[in-house]
Amino acid sequence: MTKPRLAIVATALVVLLLAAIPWFGSDVVVQFGISTLLLAVLAQSWNIIGGYCGYPSFGNSTFYGLGSYGVAIAMAQWNLPFAVGMCLGAALAVIFAFLLGLPVLRLKGHYFAIATLALALAMTAIVSNVGIAGQNIGLVLPPLNNDFLFYELSLGLLVIATLVVFWLTKSRFGFGLIAIRENEEAAAVMGVNTTLYKVLAFALSGLFTALAGGIHAYWITFLDPDSAFDIGLNVKMIIMAVFGGPGSVLGPVLGAFVLSAISEVLASEITTVAGLFFGVVVVAAVVLMPRGLADLSRRFKSEGWRYFANNIKNYRL
Amino acid sequence: MSPLLNVVGVTRRFSGLVAVNNVSFSLFEREILGVIGPNGAGKTTLISLISGTIPPTSGEIYFESQPITRFHAYRRGRLGIGRTFQIMQPFPGLSVLDNVAVGALFGHTGSGRTLANAREHAREQLHFVGLGNLSNRRADELGGPARKRLELAKALAMEPKVLLCDEVMAGLNLVEIDEVIEIIRRVRDRGISVLVIEHVIKAIKRLSDRLLVLHHGEKIADGTPDTVLSDERVVEAYLGRRRE
Repeated sequence: MTKPRLAIVATALVVLLLAAIPWFGSDVVVQFGISTLLLAVLAQSWNIIGGYCGYPSFGNSTFYGLGSYGVAIAMAQWNLPFAVGMCLGAALAVIFAFLLGLPVLRLKGHYFAIATLALALAMTAIVSNVGIAGQNIGLVLPPLNNDFLFYELSLGLLVIATLVVFWLTKSRFGFGLIAIRENEEAAAVMGVNTTLYKVLAFALSGLFTALAGGIHAYWITFLDPDSAFDIGLNVKMIIMAVFGGPGSVLGPVLGAFVLSAISEVLASEITTVAGLFFGVVVVAAVVLMPRGLADLSRRFKSEGWRYFANNIKNYRL
Repeated sequence: MSPLLNVVGVTRRFSGLVAVNNVSFSLFEREILGVIGPNGAGKTTLISLISGTIPPTSGEIYFESQPITRFHAYRRGRLGIGRTFQIMQPFPGLSVLDNVAVGALFGHTGSGRTLANAREHAREQLHFVGLGNLSNRRADELGGPARKRLELAKALAMEPKVLLCDEVMAGLNLVEIDEVIEIIRRVRDRGISVLVIEHVIKAIKRLSDRLLVLHHGEKIADGTPDTVLSDERVVEAYLGRRRE
């Protein structure tokens, strides 16, 4: 069997294994699974705009909030089914991506990051004053005590998001995004419709982020502006994607799994200083493997432990 | 014969500075047009105006009789205008092959191509410029002369009708310059019109069918290399005024 085919079969087996967890895992494991899978969807979504297109978005928590509110408003205010809420949330996120992506995606690097950060803060303030969104009190959704369903939904969403990212590596669209990341001016001169591609990547990233937000809202059954548009969550998805390897297919998913597990273990073992240790892990990762787990797994075989020393040397730390 | 590219009264101001001032010229099919001028004469700005990376302050640019002045750079690329950059603009993290494949995929003839097909076409272009053996290297591992050739291959992969070369010979030694001249001649033999900006007068004199001289953003001469280079105003621009 060829190497890529082996990787596909192995990935499919892991997905089946993950899908089977609710049958024999405890409630705690399944709940940990749901939140980890949703975080992996977020990291993978961020990967599309941040990893492939090279635009470090802090606006993804805005998409997440819109997706959450889409479901919450549809279910709590209009008594519509969950699926309609998901569509509403996804539509809100995509419209938002097109309307604000056009001006904001003209900015690059830090300027783009700061502008998108401001969007998220503005959304908190706006939603706090919208009547139908429950203002700053929030909304309570009809509870559904079915973690099995939430787990499989989250896993399904992660699989679809990952398949889309895999398609990026094989398609004209993905190739254009990578060209934009590597050198936007050169890409434009060579015929890449940079504005359109960037906005589409932003919308695609927003779509999956919003769907994850929608599932999360229904699962948690409560929503307020501060938790829906939480910047901390955006930071988390970036850390996970970068830890795993931005611009790779499985890196961000792996990053989300590994970091979730580490933070869970730390939180249960050494509760008070868990945050500190988590910070140490992230700093060490950035110093020792700045290109993420995906790059580590590729190069460790040939370079061995020297891989880490080389990274420190290359970045003159 | 109507010109392939027609630049009519184009001006570009950068706040106080007029980089290109009311320049008009035409580029005909299968022609090699050399553009020379002292530092800061507006040569690179002129290429940027034609390729669409900066908009002109006034004036019109026609490509195949169609006004393209308001077209975004990517549309001009798809219509068949390819350019190289003086400060090389590779896609640093991609392989040399994929650098060129971007042009094959999105350029003038790219729309129907698959990724595999684009890479195949890219490989041909790399052979054409003599980089065939480096196709698997990362672009940022290449040295200066190879990067110059990579710029050419990237633009050629778009299968342009016009190729705008911004100082592709700067920093090369005499042997390398000869090789690049040979490549550009063969590009013209493929039916592509070429506009070359160059500092090395000897090289461009040998290469060009026609020379255009810019000075302080204005066109001061346009004609065959011999007549242009003996023109008093051109000599003055380069060497200064002769003392009476």
